[in-house]
Amino acid sequence: MTMIEIIQFSSLGEFFDMGGYAFNVWSVYALFFLFFFINLYFPLLKRKQIIREQKRRSIVNKETATEISSS
Amino acid sequence: MWLWFSKLGSPKWFYELSGRWLPWLVIPMALLLVVGIVWALLFVPPDYQQGETIRIMYIHVPFASISLAFFPLMAVAGTITLVWKMKLADMVAKVAAPLGAWFTALALMSGSIWGSDIWGTWWIWDGRLTSMLLQFFLLIGVISLRSALEDSDAAAKACAVLSIVGCINVFVIKYSVEWWNTLHQPASSFSLSDEAPNPPEVWVPLVIMIIAIYLFFAVSLILSTRNEILERERRAQWVQDLVEAQ
Amino acid sequence: MNPHRQKKLSIILFVAAGLSVTVGLILYAMSQNINLFYTPTQVAQGEVRAGQRIRIGGMVKEGSVVSANDSLQVRFETTDYVHAVPIEYEGILPDLFREGQGIVAEGSVDSSGVFHASRVLAKHDENYMSQEVKVALDAAGVNTDNHPSSLILPES
Repeated sequence: MTMIEIIQFSSLGEFFDMGGYAFNVWSVYALFFLFFFINLYFPLLKRKQIIREQKRRSIVNKETATEISSS
Repeated sequence: MWLWFSKLGSPKWFYELSGRWLPWLVIPMALLLVVGIVWALLFVPPDYQQGETIRIMYIHVPFASISLAFFPLMAVAGTITLVWKMKLADMVAKVAAPLGAWFTALALMSGSIWGSDIWGTWWIWDGRLTSMLLQFFLLIGVISLRSALEDSDAAAKACAVLSIVGCINVFVIKYSVEWWNTLHQPASSFSLSDEAPNPPEVWVPLVIMIIAIYLFFAVSLILSTRNEILERERRAQWVQDLVEAQ
Repeated sequence: MNPHRQKKLSIILFVAAGLSVTVGLILYAMSQNINLFYTPTQVAQGEVRAGQRIRIGGMVKEGSVVSANDSLQVRFETTDYVHAVPIEYEGILPDLFREGQGIVAEGSVDSSGVFHASRVLAKHDENYMSQEVKVALDAAGVNTDNHPSSLILPES
């Protein structure tokens, strides 16, 4: 038995229709992908922000340090 | 043992170690997710009663089951915070709360969409659904408690106590379907035989999805914890070196 | 562990244990109210007043479903295999409604013992399988009736 034979749907239309439960099945999977994306992307985005912020801080710190030493 | 324990509590050590772990969690997570989702959507046979809606189970059950892990996790972290004042434990507890709220929300929403046609209702105030909703509000409570208290030490303590108390609700969620009569069905027991209810063709992809979602939970928790470490330890030399190197 | 920490840990454990016992007792005391539905036996034995809004949970008795031709009116009996309660309902039934299936109905009993439902929900059990497995099990004579355990009274 090949993989193709055990697919439960005989056409793409049937697959999208999900036996009349298209809304229920597809909205749950859509929600899953949304949550999955949010909970991976946001931490990565935040990491970039933190590092950018830190860099800005350390530059400011260095400048103040040089100002103090030069004055 | 104690040396190991205090070493693990060091944010720097955890940051470095988790950086090395991450690929070994992300790769199996991605593989299992692809296999699990393709299997659930294409190869699982429709249920004799519920038809194609059985495919919702492969999202709902993993999220619902991992949702129960958040309060115990936060309680353990909270106890460590209260007793040993370990900084790392409080960081984990802090980032776990919002993640738990997301997971609980997805479990509730997917269940609701599933029930809307199969049960004939989006919502019912039965023991299982109500206790799960209570967990969602408890998590919102923990999050707002932390943001409301300006003193981060006091916030950590208050959240730890609330997390320990909130653990009771986990037992209520778990056993609600056995203690009381509910609309929600009890947990399934899986059969090794092909010719019995809940045969392997139903539960093997479910187990794959459960492992995948557990890995997703671990990855997401570690990513957020690492951010929390960078923020709280920003004055430490090793964080400043790390930022410079980026 | 130093004594100070040991003391703190024991206080936390003590408070947690105390709270668990308290909540456990409260839940035990409320357990009748937390139950979602009454069983047909409870209704038949007169545990609920006529006109009181309740939920009843049981199996749709085989061969009891009578639907009207010209409306959504339906009449069936719900049973826990000890007592059966007749139910009248007008409206859309859930997809899983069929004979031998578990249901939960909301409504009230009238003085003649008929339950007038304003809403009927389906309760399914924890068994999932394909149509092929179901057919094979039926052929082998294995009982796979969709009987949520909480809907049936233990045989006494």
